[in-house]
Amino acid sequence: MSTASNATRFTALFDNSILSRLERLRLNSLRRLTVRSRGEHQTGKGGTSTEFADYRDYVPGDDVKNVDWNIFSRLNRPYIKLYRHEEEMHVVLLIDASTSMQFEGKLQLAKQLAGACGLMGLMNSERVSVYACHHLGKSPELLPPCTGRVSLRRLFRFIEEIQAGGDTPLEAAVDVLLRQHRGRGVVVLLSDFLTLGDINPALNSLFSAGLEIHAVQILSEPELHPELTGDIRLVDSETGETLDISGAAELFNIYQDQLAWQEMQLTADCQKRSGRFMRVSTSTPLDSILFDAFRRKGWIR
Amino acid sequence: MIWPFVAPAAAWLALLFVPLILLYFLKLKRPVQSIPSLALWRQVMNDQRVNSPFQRFKRNFLLLLQILVLACLVLAAMQPYWGTGALRSKYLPILIDCSASMGALDKPGGTSRLEVAKAEAKKIIDNLLSDQLVSLIIVNSTGRRLTDFTNNKRLLSNALDHVAVSDVPSRLDDSLRLAQALSRTYPIERALFLTDGNTPSNVDLELPFQVTLQLIPPGGANIGITELNARRGAERWDVFVRLEGAKVGGGAAKVEFYQDAELLGTEQVSLDPQESQRLSFRASAERPSQISVRILPDGFDSLASDNVAYLELPILRPLRAYVDPELADFRKALQPLKGVEVLPTPGSTKPKLVTGYDLVVTEAVGETVPQAAVSLTVGQVPPELSKLVKVEKDFVKVVDWQRNSAFLRHVQLADVQMSENPVSAVGIEDRDYEQHAYEILAHAARGPLILHKDRDGRQAFWLLFHTSRSTLPYRVGFPILVSNLMQIAMQQAGLAEVRSQATGVLPPRAADPTMTYTIVSPDGLRQEITTTNEGLLSGISAPRVGKYEILKGLSTVTKTSASLLTASETSLQAVENIQFREISIGANETRLKTDKPLWAEFAIAGMLFLVLEWWYFQRRPGGW
Repeated sequence: MSTASNATRFTALFDNSILSRLERLRLNSLRRLTVRSRGEHQTGKGGTSTEFADYRDYVPGDDVKNVDWNIFSRLNRPYIKLYRHEEEMHVVLLIDASTSMQFEGKLQLAKQLAGACGLMGLMNSERVSVYACHHLGKSPELLPPCTGRVSLRRLFRFIEEIQAGGDTPLEAAVDVLLRQHRGRGVVVLLSDFLTLGDINPALNSLFSAGLEIHAVQILSEPELHPELTGDIRLVDSETGETLDISGAAELFNIYQDQLAWQEMQLTADCQKRSGRFMRVSTSTPLDSILFDAFRRKGWIR
Repeated sequence: MIWPFVAPAAAWLALLFVPLILLYFLKLKRPVQSIPSLALWRQVMNDQRVNSPFQRFKRNFLLLLQILVLACLVLAAMQPYWGTGALRSKYLPILIDCSASMGALDKPGGTSRLEVAKAEAKKIIDNLLSDQLVSLIIVNSTGRRLTDFTNNKRLLSNALDHVAVSDVPSRLDDSLRLAQALSRTYPIERALFLTDGNTPSNVDLELPFQVTLQLIPPGGANIGITELNARRGAERWDVFVRLEGAKVGGGAAKVEFYQDAELLGTEQVSLDPQESQRLSFRASAERPSQISVRILPDGFDSLASDNVAYLELPILRPLRAYVDPELADFRKALQPLKGVEVLPTPGSTKPKLVTGYDLVVTEAVGETVPQAAVSLTVGQVPPELSKLVKVEKDFVKVVDWQRNSAFLRHVQLADVQMSENPVSAVGIEDRDYEQHAYEILAHAARGPLILHKDRDGRQAFWLLFHTSRSTLPYRVGFPILVSNLMQIAMQQAGLAEVRSQATGVLPPRAADPTMTYTIVSPDGLRQEITTTNEGLLSGISAPRVGKYEILKGLSTVTKTSASLLTASETSLQAVENIQFREISIGANETRLKTDKPLWAEFAIAGMLFLVLEWWYFQRRPGGW
């Protein structure tokens, strides 16, 4: 629901109210997958930030300026103070912009979620890059890594201008992404995951590249609860291939089983690689996804 | 190979499968639905094939149902039948025994044999194939065709419903001749005869088709009256009754004798199976009366129609014999006989009556000659035979005569000579006399000497020679011949012995000429019969045991009765086979197997498949 006119909205992706709420949130990665360059992402002990993390015994060679002299005076033994690292995390947004995503506002939701994740990354001084995959074998649209609040408008404009079309499967898009991307961090996969290929090699590649997988499967309501009856001919929007089915109604249960099995399989595949998976419906309001589902699942904090 | 189809040509309808399948796939214009990706649906289809080996079959379930519907309709059109190998004839006459024994019950309150036979016939009619035609013929003392050859089940069932038991013995000749006549028009291969087996075991008939004798199990125990007659006694009638027990069981019963409404007496009898017992009693002869004998069985008696019998007793009177005064030898021979009144008495001045005689012996011909039921004409040639035979003056002897004839019984004619020689015309043979309804009782060398004609209940004997010109009156055989003539007249007049009238057709009786009489049967049915010019009331059908009333207008002329009185019907005995002229037909008690048509089942199956297809097409998504 829009509360501000288009003229006053910062971006066409979502309202300013959502924007303001997102500014106070950040992506919560499970692992320390950050780049060594300084940033605002505190990932662990031994850093150079001002936030105390722990003590350890002094060993020769340690910088004596880190010795806690107060403890030394009381215990007569030197201890080194450890501080949290403030490192820069790379947020990679991979948007599946193939033809299959143009159904029932799936691409729009993907763009909104990408914008939200990008916003959170930029507002937390993390490097954000965006890949939009269209055609198989062609280079994806790329927003090079950018940081800082100043890149917000550039990020939103890039995302807003993404158009659906093409036939690239997700696994192929991941290969293209990894050929161009450098750095560890979080990859947010925004796709319908309706691919005929095997997604596991792509997930392995992402995991090996040091990217924590956050996979969001975006499905429309007709895909979740198809209402097909009788004898129909299904046409693949990307490949144009057809499939004749008879008695579609009686396949309903099998379809539901297949859908549930796919969700379970994708969840397991992501968890095996220390990642996360979530299925969202285009019929679910955006704020519910962001501020309810994401937060409850610990994707953002 | 015989296909179990009545109309195998309808198999050509199976060609409709081709357009059905073609139209199905041409018509199957699937609506196109564009979806993001086929990935999930391909997995669904794979899953479906793995999970259900019948999915390929289910994919075109509608087509399968349509094929099944068409297959059922084609099969129904081919009219299949469940062949039993028995009774497969296109034209099938069904003969149903309706004689008295078919009214026997199998147990107290049980079903009659006819009902069982009708149920068998009904089953055959119900299972009639469309190319089979059935004609129903009932068999009792005669045969009657109820329906022409038809496969109209309603018509056949209606005709079958009206079949009822007649209280008459069964005779196969007429009904089989009827079927034989039908075989000249229709190619009959086999006839079915439904009977309890209580039929004559010999039929002098040659059948051009096979007969399947289907036996209905006979009835239970039975006692019945098989004979009832009376003989002339001394001023009374001696009445004799014969009771017989059935083959399977006799029993005990009380027998009551009535003369009109008066109970003459009762008697208790007990009969073993196939045992008979003769009872007698005396009845008054002072007035015409009706004797009725009733059996009151102590236990179960399967046949009721033989439990009562009637006998009409006339008043006892002398035989009225008119003998020409010129025939002195006949008068002398008749006068000594008891119970005979010879008229005219010598010296009588009364005018000669034309009617009212029981016997007439005359030597004259013409309308002035008195009429009687029995007549003997001496020395004359019957007028209608005048061209066949001439009487010449010549001595002649008897060459041969019929010794078993009632008229010539115990009469010796070997030495008799006569001076009148009847000579047949050239080329005239015995059959020419028979064509004029004359039977030759005695032959001379060149022609007949004694003729007999039995017509319309009247017995006429002709001596073509005059006894006064022969040695016959001087032979021992002459008084015997006269006595035989008297006995015949006595029998004809009912003065010597009276027998109960059997059911079937009542004997002719004298009445007013060309007058219509109404006969009311015991069950209230009326039939109208017009008498002949000679005043003979004949052809009265009497299929029921009981009293018959003859009405002239609204007034009762006389009453008569009919009784079953057939030992074979009372015995309920079943023949094991029927001997025809050339072949013997064995009886079969096992239930007759008939081909069962299956087209109705296939039509119903087709209808069910059609309903299933409609439901499958219309059912809600996700219903399975």
